Amino acid sequence: MRIVPDDATVKAARILAVDDEAANLSLVEKAFAREGFDGVVTFLDPQAALSDFAQNPPDLVLLDLMMPGIDGYELLDSFRRLTPADAYLPIMVLTADTNVRARLRALALGARDVLLKPYDVGELLMRSWVLLETRQAFQRRP
Amino acid sequence: MSGMKAWLRPATAWADLGLAAKGLVVVALPLAILLGGIGALHLSSRAEAEAERAVRLTFAIQRDIHEVHALLAEAASGVRGYRLTGRDAFLEPYLKAEALLPLTLARLRTSVRDPEIRTRLARVDGLVIQKRQGLAQLAAMPGAGGEDSVAARDVAAALVANKTVLDALRAEIEAMQRREAELLDARRARADAERSRTLALTGAMAVIGLLASLAAVQLLFSGIVRRVRTLERDAERLERGEPLTTRDHAQDEIGRLARRLVEAGDLLRRREAELREGEERYRRVIEGVRDYGIFALDTDGHVASWNEGAERIKGWNAGEVIGRHFSIFYPVESRGETPSRLLAAASVDGRIEDEGWRVRMDGSRFWANVVITALRDETGELRGFSKVTRDITDRKRAEEALKAARNEAERASLAKSEFLSRMSHELRTPLTAILGFNQLLDMDRDLLGPDHTHAVAQIGRAGGHLLGMIDEVLDIARIEAGGHSMNPEKVAVDELAREAIALTAPQAQAAGIEIRLEASSVEAWADRRATLQVLLNLLSNAVKYNRRDGRIIVALRPEASCIIVDVRDQGPGIAADMIHRLFTPFDRLDADRWSGAQGSGLGLALSLGLARAMNGDVRYRTAKGGSGSVFSLVLPTVPLAAATEPVTGDAE
Repeated sequence: MRIVPDDATVKAARILAVDDEAANLSLVEKAFAREGFDGVVTFLDPQAALSDFAQNPPDLVLLDLMMPGIDGYELLDSFRRLTPADAYLPIMVLTADTNVRARLRALALGARDVLLKPYDVGELLMRSWVLLETRQAFQRRP
Repeated sequence: MSGMKAWLRPATAWADLGLAAKGLVVVALPLAILLGGIGALHLSSRAEAEAERAVRLTFAIQRDIHEVHALLAEAASGVRGYRLTGRDAFLEPYLKAEALLPLTLARLRTSVRDPEIRTRLARVDGLVIQKRQGLAQLAAMPGAGGEDSVAARDVAAALVANKTVLDALRAEIEAMQRREAELLDARRARADAERSRTLALTGAMAVIGLLASLAAVQLLFSGIVRRVRTLERDAERLERGEPLTTRDHAQDEIGRLARRLVEAGDLLRRREAELREGEERYRRVIEGVRDYGIFALDTDGHVASWNEGAERIKGWNAGEVIGRHFSIFYPVESRGETPSRLLAAASVDGRIEDEGWRVRMDGSRFWANVVITALRDETGELRGFSKVTRDITDRKRAEEALKAARNEAERASLAKSEFLSRMSHELRTPLTAILGFNQLLDMDRDLLGPDHTHAVAQIGRAGGHLLGMIDEVLDIARIEAGGHSMNPEKVAVDELAREAIALTAPQAQAAGIEIRLEASSVEAWADRRATLQVLLNLLSNAVKYNRRDGRIIVALRPEASCIIVDVRDQGPGIAADMIHRLFTPFDRLDADRWSGAQGSGLGLALSLGLARAMNGDVRYRTAKGGSGSVFSLVLPTVPLAAATEPVTGDAE
């Protein structure tokens, strides 16, 4: 039983996930793998995520905000700076912070979507698919 | 008294006379007397002239009488001469007398007044006629100038007769002359008397005129001059501020002026007294004020006055401080600049308020509130400054303490908020993996055996319950921390009730429970989300703890300043000894045992917290008839100032 529509180009997308909790990264990997996505890379270290982002720009970023060592907002800002102005590179923030301001701040800094932890796995997959589809549409424009 | 009044009356009348009338009297009195004198003199001199004319008349009468006598004598002598000589020349006196006598006698008749002489004159008239006839007879007799015996006898008889007449005439004339002489004497005496009377009258007039003038001057002096001088003295006394009394009760201008002056003097003294009293009162008030230092500065800033409050606050007494520059009240570091800046600002703006550290005489410091006001006279000239100083060190310290406490509280609140945020994060993060993997297992449940499928479902339910509890605990904690932000507005409570009922409907239908709404359109002043949350909680409870196939009635009751939403179920109700535990967090009143319903025991506590944060309330009562519970949400209809203030902190 698959959750998201079967679209080979979407599922070939490169997805970059950053979280300080290994279990959460594992969950993301398993969830996407189950749906046939094979381009998921995960980072416990935000710095490593940033350099990977710079070298191989992904199609979608799944980002945790509260991490030790580096502020998720700073990372979010750095990702946006590395993105060309005319590109659509969606970032979805996954956070356990229930404060509405945290979500608003993330969206203001360029996040395209926010999901509150613990999230519904199906919802994560569907929202990710919507973002990736939009990115494809963006890339196909003349 | 009445006697004195009677004596005073003419004087009073004179005094009461107006100044114009007084002037008239003073001028008219000597003038009238002068005119009277002139009249009297005129009458007197007329009488004198009359007497003199009478004397002159007497002389004329005497002359005429003498002339009659002389004419007759000459005529007689002439006639005799003619008789003797026969010469006509001797008849000339006779002819002259014949011509003149009637004229002279006629004149006498008109001029004589005396009755005796008139009688005699009448007799003389007769005798003169006889004499003239006698003479005419003699003259006409023949033989004039010759001796004729017959003729001589007749002539002698005629001469004798003539002589008789002449004698009689002479006697009459002599008598007349004697009488005239008497009359002359009398008339002369009268003329003399008239003259001396005129003289006496003139003298008397002169004396009376002089006296009248003196009287006029005296009247002028007593009626005007003396009183004007009194007025002048009064005015001088008034100038010196001495009290005035006047005895001038006259009704004329001067009297009125004098009384006005006295009234003005009284008024002036009263005003002065009031002014002095007012100043004294002010002085006492200012000097007596102990809580405020009130003192005056001259234009350069030297202390000019000092009150008790100033002495109490600053330590100096008046003797020590008056004349010194007020910069001594300032701490050394601000002594150079602040005092002159404040005075300059006060003279430009009229006043300046300042707060800062000041020093007492002993060198200790106090926090002062100071108001300096420029004092200007009516021309706008700067006269100095008034300075009011208050020692508000205690207040300053209290404010600082309060500020510190507030900062501390804010820090604590922030820390609490931070902690809650972390808590939420820390509790939710592991749940993400638990629930996420559980969901993945569930997605592939066709790969699991039935026992595992059951286990996965149990993990999912328990995890969901744990998540709900975490949310509720955090909500309650937020409300207690004051961090639950409310956005009160006008909300249609009936619509919110419908929405809550619609959301609860699936749960109710599953339990076969009917929800009925009894409501008209009503509005409250509340936060939409919080109201809905409370209603959902109350409805959820009403479903959970109702009897099977029971009914829930939601009724809206508008009250004076609030709206009450009653949620009534048909459950067993709450035991009386448990009611006080209803709103205690985590206390489920042993619900698991008697109802089998699941719950965190936080719903009512959370609802109550939310309602109170909106200035509302949640209340419980047992339904009428003892079957079922009624939970009421009370919401205000008007905003409360405190309720509308946005609360800082986390928002969910």
